[in-house]
Amino acid sequence: MSTTRHAIIEEIIEAVVEGEPEPVIAGVRRALEAGVDPETVLNDGLTAAMTSVGDMLDRGEVFIPDVLWSAEAMQEGLALLLPHLSEGASRSAGTVVLGTVQGDVHDIGKNFVGLMLSGAGFEVVDLGHDVTAEAFVEAVAEHGAGLLGMSAMLTTTMPVMSRTLQLLEARSLRSGVRVLVGGAPVTQSYADKIGADGWAIDATKAVAVAKELV
Amino acid sequence: MSLFEDLKLNVEQGKKEAVLALVAQALDQGHSAQQILQQGLIAAMDIVGAKMEQEEMFIPEVLRAAKTMEAGLEILKPLLGVGDMQVSGKVVMGTVKGDLHDIGKNLVAMLLSSAGFEVIDLGINVAPAVFAQKAEETGADFLGMSALLTTTMPMMAATIEELEKAGLRGRVRVLIGGAPVTQAYADQIGADGYASDAGAAIKVAKELGALVA
Amino acid sequence: MSDVAPFTPAVRLSHLGDDVKTRIFEAALRVLADVGASVQHDEAVRLLQKAGCSLDSDGLVRVPRPAVERALSSAPNAFTLYDRDGAAAMELGGHNVYFGTGSDLMWQYDPHTGEHRPSRLDDIARVARVCEALPNMDFVMSGAYPTELDPRGVYAVTFLTMMRNCTKPLVIVAESEIDLGVIIDVAADVRGGRDQLRERPYFLAYVEPVSPLSHPAESVAKLLLCADAGVPVAYVPAPLLGATSPVSSAGHVVQGMAECLLGLVLHQHRAPGAPFMFGVNQGTLDMVSGQPSYAAVEGFMNYLTVVEMAKWLGLPNWGISGCTDSQAIDAQLGLEVGELTLLSMLLGSNLNHDVGFMGFGLTGALEEIVITDEFVSMNKKLLSGIPVQDEDLAVNVIAEVGPKGHYLRHPHTRRYLRKGPGQWRPRLLNRDNRDRWVECGGLDLREKARRKVQAILESEGPPTLDPVLLALAEERVAALKASPKVGSPS
Repeated sequence: MSTTRHAIIEEIIEAVVEGEPEPVIAGVRRALEAGVDPETVLNDGLTAAMTSVGDMLDRGEVFIPDVLWSAEAMQEGLALLLPHLSEGASRSAGTVVLGTVQGDVHDIGKNFVGLMLSGAGFEVVDLGHDVTAEAFVEAVAEHGAGLLGMSAMLTTTMPVMSRTLQLLEARSLRSGVRVLVGGAPVTQSYADKIGADGWAIDATKAVAVAKELV
Repeated sequence: MSLFEDLKLNVEQGKKEAVLALVAQALDQGHSAQQILQQGLIAAMDIVGAKMEQEEMFIPEVLRAAKTMEAGLEILKPLLGVGDMQVSGKVVMGTVKGDLHDIGKNLVAMLLSSAGFEVIDLGINVAPAVFAQKAEETGADFLGMSALLTTTMPMMAATIEELEKAGLRGRVRVLIGGAPVTQAYADQIGADGYASDAGAAIKVAKELGALVA
Repeated sequence: MSDVAPFTPAVRLSHLGDDVKTRIFEAALRVLADVGASVQHDEAVRLLQKAGCSLDSDGLVRVPRPAVERALSSAPNAFTLYDRDGAAAMELGGHNVYFGTGSDLMWQYDPHTGEHRPSRLDDIARVARVCEALPNMDFVMSGAYPTELDPRGVYAVTFLTMMRNCTKPLVIVAESEIDLGVIIDVAADVRGGRDQLRERPYFLAYVEPVSPLSHPAESVAKLLLCADAGVPVAYVPAPLLGATSPVSSAGHVVQGMAECLLGLVLHQHRAPGAPFMFGVNQGTLDMVSGQPSYAAVEGFMNYLTVVEMAKWLGLPNWGISGCTDSQAIDAQLGLEVGELTLLSMLLGSNLNHDVGFMGFGLTGALEEIVITDEFVSMNKKLLSGIPVQDEDLAVNVIAEVGPKGHYLRHPHTRRYLRKGPGQWRPRLLNRDNRDRWVECGGLDLREKARRKVQAILESEGPPTLDPVLLALAEERVAALKASPKVGSPS
């Protein structure tokens, strides 16, 4: 890659890290004009930037809102890039159906996981909060989701997770979807007990587990 | 309550008038001075010592008990035979030259004297030569030195040298203490004993006394 | 004036009314005028007499009210300490708060082996290195007594070691006016002359009278030398509650003030306007064990009062922080360090020494300094107060997000974090979830502090001292050690 092209990619990374949508859009546009391979822009620019932001959060160098802004800026760049990507390359990391379970209105953690997952290239279908087992199952079927993420902040609402899994079994959908659970009272042993495929202690871990599962 | 129980309790509580009256009363009843000393005053200080170790008494209360015991002893002294009053030993003590801190040294002196030592307190800012001279004059068995400053600690070594020069080092046991003083320092300067606090000072003095005897 | 803005708490603690402070001050004046004090220095007694004091037939000096008032009016409300390079570093006065270590600890927890062993000269170098690296340690006091050295001239050696291993201002102790004189000479060499040292003091000397009411010749001589050289001095008694001062808190403060103020009268008469620091140490005798405590709650009570009195008198104050009675680097240490340090910050206490002290001022641990630094950092945030502009009240933001929304993506949140007050982040305290904490080795605070100490000691030290200056300083110290006047037991 020429120095100019390299510099453009660096600019895109910096703009994503800074969480500034306009420079990201401008950077992607310039990269395409300069003839940089769209897949390179995606992999070495947008995706690499998000990995870098995740690492920075890990090291305590940025705040959570910074990551969200980066994810948003990245999405803007991705929207511009999508038409230029080949079928294979543009395929997202996977479709995730996400929600906070019935009876539970806490959704800040779930929102954060959603933003982090889309930043990592997943297509996220966010069902919001107070989602019934039936609604989860229907959404999985409708979107052909490979991943289902459920969040619960109350010990009283955790059983909805188990009910959703049973319903997936009953509808013969269980084998086609990996189920990820989380939330403050949720533990690995609860995940094992109800037969979920994965558990994550926080949003960063959720992305890592999601990537492993798909 | 028996007379002796009453006496012990009053020593412990530092009630001087009551102790003086009870000692007189015991003498009137025909108890020997030696018996009153052993079963009354010294027994009381043993209780005080134990209570101090159990952290059941405040230091000012201990000091008051010791003062009261000594007041009772004053009455008995003329009546005690030479062999009756077993002195644990004679101690010359003071805070070293350059050092004006004496609260710790005072505390040790008072406790030593209530434990049966004869204490000659030279006060503060005591020069090495003065320590040596007083040790010689009084025929002291022990020399106790205190220093609260790192800067005055070397005076302890200087005093030991002075004792050597005066040919006294053989018979005078040297005991040192004070916040910055350590066992290692005591070993380094060739002191015989070190105590980290007043209670420990009494124990060390008694051990050294037993070694001498 | 300083290169770094001083920390002044917006949230403050004050509990004495004007009437109470007046009563305490008046009581101290009565002690000075009626009880008097023993001053064991002939020249000082003559100076005090010239200042209006009387030497009475009982040998005690009595200080009348006008002498105290005159000294209070000539003493500066604030003065500045400068670093090794001559930059302003500490503006002592008002409610500015600074932290540093204490001096003369006989024992150390070895930072490498964890062993409890006698202090050495290299411990002083390490204390200086660690303080140099920590953003919330503002000055250095030796932290250790070099037990392996010949005691002759030991404080000049200590001074040299501190000077070589850090650039921050120093707080020093000296044996007498002789070694203090050499320390002043060395500092003057660093500045390029006596006048320059007076202009930009590099260190503050700590001098103690002896409670009760006794002013030894050495202490007074050091005080006078500081006055003459324009070197800032803290003349601070250390009365032990109930042993060498009254057992009542107010009585302790009254006596301590009388002791300190006698020093002020002498110092200001000798050199009106010379920098003087007020203080009364807060020791408490444990009445059962006989142990002087550094962290007794009664001592804290005295301390609150002393610092408030300093503010009321308008004098910079000597304070205490970051120390504990614990013998281990444990939860007690954290608790006591925390309480005393927070009190100092709430009070706006100026120069807070004794960071890193454990076990009644006999043992030092570098970990404790690192832990205190973190604690100070956290509480600088806590006590900075909350801004309440429209932007901070954020009604518009609340309206924009509305019910059921969230603020994580709102520009206000980001602006506040990025460009506004931000969010305080621990460097040592744990905020990892269980998994991550275990993954990172499951380290407790002590171990994290120990590793931070190691990292500092392995990093590059401060810029080295000019070799010519160093050689000159070493020469001066060697001459002092060889002098027959030093440490001779005559």
